[in-house]
Amino acid sequence: MNPPGWLVDRLPEWARSIRFRYTLLYSGVLFGLAAIVVAAIYLVLLMNLRHEPVSASRGAFCPRYGDCIRLVSLSEFERLVNSRTLKELRNYSFGALGVLFVASLGVGWVVAGRVLRPIGRITAVARDIQATDLSRRIELPGPDDELKQLADTFDAMLARLDAAFAAQRQFTADASHELRNPLAIIRTNVDVALADPRADPDDLRQTLIVVKRAGDRMARLVDDLLALARRQEPTLEHEQVDLGVAVTEASDDFMVPAAARSIVLDRAIAPGVVVTGDRDALKRAVANLLENAVRLAPAGSRIRLATGSEGDRAWIAVADEGPGISPEDQPHVFDRFWRADKARSRADGGTGLGLAIVRQIAESHGGHIRLQSKVGVGSSFVIWLPVTAPGTQADTPTRPHAAHAPTPVPTPVDRARTRPSFGPPPE
Amino acid sequence: MRVLVVEDEADLADAIARGLRREGYAVDVAYDGDEAVEKASVNDYDVVCLDLNLPRLDGIEVVRRIRADDVGQPTRVLMLTARDSTRDRITGLDEGADDYLVKPFDFEELKARVRALLRRDAGRSGAVLRVGDIELDSSRHDARRDGHQLPLTPKEFALLRYFMSRPGQVLSQEDLLEHVWDENADPFTNTVRVTVMTLRRKLADAGDSQPIETVVGRGYRLREQP
Repeated sequence: MNPPGWLVDRLPEWARSIRFRYTLLYSGVLFGLAAIVVAAIYLVLLMNLRHEPVSASRGAFCPRYGDCIRLVSLSEFERLVNSRTLKELRNYSFGALGVLFVASLGVGWVVAGRVLRPIGRITAVARDIQATDLSRRIELPGPDDELKQLADTFDAMLARLDAAFAAQRQFTADASHELRNPLAIIRTNVDVALADPRADPDDLRQTLIVVKRAGDRMARLVDDLLALARRQEPTLEHEQVDLGVAVTEASDDFMVPAAARSIVLDRAIAPGVVVTGDRDALKRAVANLLENAVRLAPAGSRIRLATGSEGDRAWIAVADEGPGISPEDQPHVFDRFWRADKARSRADGGTGLGLAIVRQIAESHGGHIRLQSKVGVGSSFVIWLPVTAPGTQADTPTRPHAAHAPTPVPTPVDRARTRPSFGPPPE
Repeated sequence: MRVLVVEDEADLADAIARGLRREGYAVDVAYDGDEAVEKASVNDYDVVCLDLNLPRLDGIEVVRRIRADDVGQPTRVLMLTARDSTRDRITGLDEGADDYLVKPFDFEELKARVRALLRRDAGRSGAVLRVGDIELDSSRHDARRDGHQLPLTPKEFALLRYFMSRPGQVLSQEDLLEHVWDENADPFTNTVRVTVMTLRRKLADAGDSQPIETVVGRGYRLREQP
């Protein structure tokens, strides 16, 4: 039903519409079918009926003078009648076909208009909707037919777009809010220091320290924002990552900070678990979890880090012994810029993005993250990831290898088929 | 003039306080909403510089409580906000804030807005206060009597500004302590009396009469006509 391009270009505007083409199609098909039926009937009659005009007379019968009746045989008379009937049939058929053609054009135009009216509505709404106002919906009334499904699909798409735009706006607002605070600190401190002509070197040094602190905070924030933005694109590296090696490397950096707070970092790394993904991203996820744990856990407590696999899924778990997250806060910990105690964690250098990044990394690897926490007892975060090659020693997580103080790269000595002293929580 | 700075970013709050103190204001600092409400209920602040995004008690709630406490001279509230969405500002203004400033701001602008808020109470539109032959320009930190510049310390300047914002009113020592000194001042010293005395001497040196008179048993008054 698609006319060639050169033809379309030459057609006037109204003749290019689908309505016009459907009218032509409808009318043409109806006319064609009717013509075939009529022609078939006519031909069948033509072949089966004897229908010559009367040729020879068998004489005449004159009951009174001058008032004669021509005499023909009965069959000849029949043929004569048939011939006339066929002629009439032909004439009326042509007439009826003509009327039918005109009527079908009209009916086709109206019917096509009716069928296409919802599409007109969809087009009108779609044209009205600007990127800034995605709140409008088509909301096509009527039965649940194909066009309604189309309109509903549009509506669902708009709802998703609306949500995505709203999330983006919220993120931009949050990010600018977070960046404005350190900027305000820098600007105000510099303004106040410059306005004082008698400021001594100690005052100025103090101002510089404050400015540096705010600058560091902005740098961390920008790093984290970029990390989040990059993860949103599906351009992850796809390499085979030995989870045990990556997690061990990531945790080595935390041995010294943990020891500084007399926190013991226990590692129970299962060897040979391989996942497909971005090595640096996975290391970062582990680092973010450990960073939170080392920063927030009470001094002298124990942080446990373990990896392993169950069936076709691998897991990384980080568990601490406090302070724990309250049940009402638990749904929010993976939100961007969410902080349990704003004032404190900001001063500690937290950007409020660490766990959001972890979740995004887990999800971009086709996995997810689970949290179990109890105030006063501790929290455990578990990242679940799909395993690349099932069966490669996947079902043999090692017994925890206690790594007290800075002892880098623990060697998994015990390969007994036991689970680590703690593992992923049941899902 | 007494100012309360409410801001959870300590580095910012302290800088604002330092800058405003240098302008001769008596400045207290609160680092969260609870502390702000507590201080506002104890002291009578002329201006509150309030961050909207506070831990524990939201800035909007703080405005509401300050407004509920308002008796007599209303406290002027200047919102500081890092969100520039119009909705936040509308909420803040509707809840009783007098003005707003979006972070990061120019400190000169903050000072100008604080001055503008203080002028509202005095019912004047210019930055220069004039009572009799005394002229005080807050923005340039300049006080003159009869055209002669007065060599005032910041505290004396702040004291004169407070007198000039309430000409003809009798102001007790407690009033002066409340509005010109911050919470670190010791109420049992005679610092108010001493500062009033030095201010009066400097004013007398520059003119031929004493504009600040003692109302026995009640306090001091700045005469409207010399």
